[in-house]
Amino acid sequence: MTTSDHVVAVLTVEAAPAARQRSRWRLVLPVGLLAVPMLAFLTYFFFYPALILLLSSIQTQDSRGIIGRPFTLAHYARLINVELYARVLWTTLRISIITSALATVLAYPVALVMVKSRPIVTRIITLIVIAPLIVSVVVRGYGWQLVLQNGPKGMLNWILMTLHIIDAPISVLYTEVAVVIGSLHVFFPMMVLPLASALGKIDPNLEDAARMLGAPWWKVFLRVTLPLSMPGFVAGFTLVFSLTAGSFVIPAILGGASAIMLGNLIEQQIFVVYDWPFGAAIAVVLVGLVLAVNGVSMWLLEGRRLRRPE
Amino acid sequence: MDERFSGFGAFVLYTITAAMMLFILAPLLLVMAASVSDSYFVTFPPQGFTLKWYAKVLGDRDFLEAMRLSILLALGTTAGSLLLGVPAAFALVRGKFFGLAAIKGFLLSPLIFPALVTGLALLQVLTRLGSQDARINLLIGHVVVTSPYVIRTVVSSLQLVDENLEDAARTLGANRLWTFWRVTLPQIASGVAAGGLFAFMVSFDNYPVTMWLANSEYSPVPLVLMRQLVNVFDPSVPAMSTIIILMAMVGVLLLEKLVGLRRALAA
Repeated sequence: MTTSDHVVAVLTVEAAPAARQRSRWRLVLPVGLLAVPMLAFLTYFFFYPALILLLSSIQTQDSRGIIGRPFTLAHYARLINVELYARVLWTTLRISIITSALATVLAYPVALVMVKSRPIVTRIITLIVIAPLIVSVVVRGYGWQLVLQNGPKGMLNWILMTLHIIDAPISVLYTEVAVVIGSLHVFFPMMVLPLASALGKIDPNLEDAARMLGAPWWKVFLRVTLPLSMPGFVAGFTLVFSLTAGSFVIPAILGGASAIMLGNLIEQQIFVVYDWPFGAAIAVVLVGLVLAVNGVSMWLLEGRRLRRPE
Repeated sequence: MDERFSGFGAFVLYTITAAMMLFILAPLLLVMAASVSDSYFVTFPPQGFTLKWYAKVLGDRDFLEAMRLSILLALGTTAGSLLLGVPAAFALVRGKFFGLAAIKGFLLSPLIFPALVTGLALLQVLTRLGSQDARINLLIGHVVVTSPYVIRTVVSSLQLVDENLEDAARTLGANRLWTFWRVTLPQIASGVAAGGLFAFMVSFDNYPVTMWLANSEYSPVPLVLMRQLVNVFDPSVPAMSTIIILMAMVGVLLLEKLVGLRRALAA
């Protein structure tokens, strides 16, 4: 018997099923165990800390800085009742919603062109959209600081004044508008990518069919493309909203004192005021906000509630 | 494209797309222009040409020290998240055990959790543990936020592996480790590479976790840059920023070469 004959025999005859079965048995246990180190690591350094944070948000800090009983909801009440803090919460919500909405409107055309163009155009757009994603947020915030610089020497002001659109320099830097512009720049790819992937999955025959039946391009878009791309829209909106709500760097660089967000308030409470329970309570509210938006989005996506009934 | 959109619709689409490309590139290009312009304050349009800010950056011990720390931290993070993440991805794809979906959700959950809060919570626990070494704390924090990326990319490439090839290798007498090394790993190599590169870049750029765990002795690049930007006036900030932009471009091109950008990010 030659070697290859031997192999064929092993693979085909009675030995094969036996070997397979044995390997199944041997595999079942260890394969699951491979996740244990990762699970243990995340439980200890992610899940457990999150629980401790939740706990300390309802505890009291004494004068020596030790956190313990009595349990209280006073920190949450403070966030809502003190006008200064409540305003930060509303600013955060407003900036996050406006940024996500703007990102949707502006990302849609980009995603459409990205999906339906010739390969070379698609490649260039993909590269331009994704490349900045990997550049540090601090650098991108700094870039916008230079663009929006107040005074006649800022890029935006110089361009607008040279084109005679404005006569005197405008002040955009250190306002909510600047934070929205910066956030839009930082999180724009998070909207384009899910949209492009949803658009790419649409069967082109559906659009062709609508077109052949006489629908003009805008009707094809409104009745076929737009409804079918809703999953990408929901995923992108959720991502941009969550990331903007939790940002720190962009409001710190571009918002100044007039557009403080929850992340900046948390940092201030921990590093400047040393009020851990209050900082923790703000963090819990931020997490709650993000989880709520993610929950709604999952409900929309998984229940296939996005399909149009007609 | 040409046949799908026509007339006014196409014009609007292309105009918005072009404007957005300009919007994305403008701040980065301005930073790069400012880095070689010969004025103490950044002005527009940029004036003159000089490389003196680069000379200054390359002689700046704080920046070089931060760069060294950031690169070592990113390398350690990559190793750590691959060591923990690849086996976990294997378990998620091949395992058949109770609660698989829940465990997958748990392992990916740092992705939707605000990183700022992840860092704060970790700081509280590490302080209670008495863990004083900022380098170790940073490593732990960075592995928490990067490992989901590794799991995601490796899971999606493992799903494409043909299990029959592994069965064949096993039947031919290879043991499990050898089979993994010679049969499975080559098939998921691009996924593992993409996950590792992701981990490196996310760690190198991370701010929201880093800001809690770093201290004055050990501050990675984004933190040093932020400090120069907000607290002191430093005309070499554009040059530092440009160096970071160029490093990122190298990363993007590597990612594009290794797996293709769309695939790497859509996973």
